[in-house]
Amino acid sequence: MTADGRSAAVQAAAEKAAAELLRQRVVSLFGRSLHIRTLDTGSCAACEQEIRLLAAPHYDLHRLGFFFTPAPRHADLLLVTGPMLRAFAVAARKTYEAMPGPKLVVATGACALGGVYQPDAFSFGSVDQLLPVDVWIPGCPPSPLALLQGLMVAVDRLASKVPDLSFRVSADPAAGGSA
Amino acid sequence: MPQWFARGLRRGVVTTRYPARPEPSAAFLPTPPAFRPQRLTRETADTLVRICPSRALRRAGDTLTFDAGACTACGQCRAAEPEAVVTSGEFELAATSRSALIKRIPLRGEVGR
Repeated sequence: MTADGRSAAVQAAAEKAAAELLRQRVVSLFGRSLHIRTLDTGSCAACEQEIRLLAAPHYDLHRLGFFFTPAPRHADLLLVTGPMLRAFAVAARKTYEAMPGPKLVVATGACALGGVYQPDAFSFGSVDQLLPVDVWIPGCPPSPLALLQGLMVAVDRLASKVPDLSFRVSADPAAGGSA
Repeated sequence: MPQWFARGLRRGVVTTRYPARPEPSAAFLPTPPAFRPQRLTRETADTLVRICPSRALRRAGDTLTFDAGACTACGQCRAAEPEAVVTSGEFELAATSRSALIKRIPLRGEVGR
């Protein structure tokens, strides 16, 4: 009984150490490289104007390792604007499901955060009614600087999501001790 | 030749951390309001709640609740009550939980007591 408990504890410690190693490795490899897919769920396009400015030389988000991608399959992060129209629900859900994990959802702007529209027959009122939001960026519209800060917050969150992935390691005490 | 390109050639560094330097344009951004509890009474709070077009403000008893996520930084509250409301200048507000954007401001004004 006691031996079982100890081996379980060793196993848990080894998994925790491996998760921390993996987290550090992900941060070092991908912490500054992230591909973004934008999704307009009925915004007025002011948020899109600001997002477009991120790629302009003054803000230059590529210097921080962020890139826009047209394909959800290539995306790590979904940048959602607008109050999530009901007509867009299927497309939004499919876009989210098409993304490989670990993935992040960033709600952008006051509409997406639920500040402008109430839930009604036309819209859900906020993005988190439909998708699991990780980072909220307020603003109407959020300035490119606010968006950059939100993306930096999101990168740290991506690292913290990695230990949630299902993986097993052997209960080798030496491996646990060395970590 | 763009400045950043010349700088990259000279120093051999093409990427920077965020923020690379203090951002001068930040002073001109519309930012959410900041509230002075000493100047807020129940009456002024109710006025602010009434005029807020995005329902970012609510009052419960002697507490004014401000939802920075719902705020559109329109400036109507500051225009109505310039004594009690000032511009915060904060624009880097991204949060990892929705509730972190909701602030509770105690009403400490004299009239409301």
